Amino acid sequence: MNEITFREAAQRGARELLPAAPGVVAWGIVTGVAMVKLGLTVPQAIGLSLLAYAGSAQLAALPLMISAAPLWLVLLTAVIVNLRFVVYSALTRPHFAHLSAQRRLWLGYIVGDIMFVKFASLLDREPEYPQRVAYYLGGALTNWVFWQVASIAGILAANWIPAQWGLELAGTLALIALIVPLAKMRPAFGGMLVAATIAVLAHALPMRLGLLLGILGGMAVALTLERRRAT
Amino acid sequence: MSDGLSNEVYVWLTILGITLATFITRSGLLVLGARLQLPPSLEAALRYAPACALAAIIAPELIYLEGSVPGGWDNPKLLAGLAGIAIFAAIRSMIATIVGGMAVFWLIRWAFGVG
Repeated sequence: MNEITFREAAQRGARELLPAAPGVVAWGIVTGVAMVKLGLTVPQAIGLSLLAYAGSAQLAALPLMISAAPLWLVLLTAVIVNLRFVVYSALTRPHFAHLSAQRRLWLGYIVGDIMFVKFASLLDREPEYPQRVAYYLGGALTNWVFWQVASIAGILAANWIPAQWGLELAGTLALIALIVPLAKMRPAFGGMLVAATIAVLAHALPMRLGLLLGILGGMAVALTLERRRAT
Repeated sequence: MSDGLSNEVYVWLTILGITLATFITRSGLLVLGARLQLPPSLEAALRYAPACALAAIIAPELIYLEGSVPGGWDNPKLLAGLAGIAIFAAIRSMIATIVGGMAVFWLIRWAFGVG
């Protein structure tokens, strides 16, 4: 077998990401439009997209920013929405352990949900694939380019779209597409129902604290359901 | 339209905060290396946190109209959201969820003249 070069592996990562590109582009456009329609200026929206690179956290943070929630609560919410990446990185960690801390920092930053799924499936099929890092880098950077171009296109187009169309709802619909698969397991479904109910009932609390109460209540219920099923 | 977004300094601080959240969650474990091991109970709790957080964010967005007035049974946002859930459960496509949900939203607003 021939030696696989870094370049070939990176191209393979990019190629295997391509089937997901239409979804990434659609979601990027929607996120871009929603950010501006909810009230960010064009430079703010571009800054948020380029710096944070986290569609779901960006969309989740906007209602909080609109109601002028305290900074710590916005940060905490973004961390909680992104916690799935902590679980992901527990899996990728051994494969990057030989790299410098700075490289690991950037390799973590550029991964999106889709590339993580692709990388996990590569490790599953070919656990000894030698150019794993190049594969990951190629796919993750491709995802980054598709996402940023689409998001910025949405941001720039948003001001031409009439406010009456209510396109910011498209951002919420994109989040719905993210959570429906998560509801497949019963503990998660129960937790989500409780979290949603508490958040709606406690909506009038100051600083959007109802959100925090909803998350804590939902997690408690999910863990209880899981424990009860295990025993 | 809103108090939070009219404050330029607040907006940029939150943008930096959300960026920090990206680095903490995606790179935190990788940079700390093997020094930090997550206890299994914490790892289980982490699995449920994003789903609960997103549910708690989405639900009020669908229920409440402008301000803090809950919508009725003909609330177009709520019906569009329910349609979106049904569409994704049926065909697992984010694009169809967005397009179908928006179509329901526009149809209900047109039919009932609300929102």
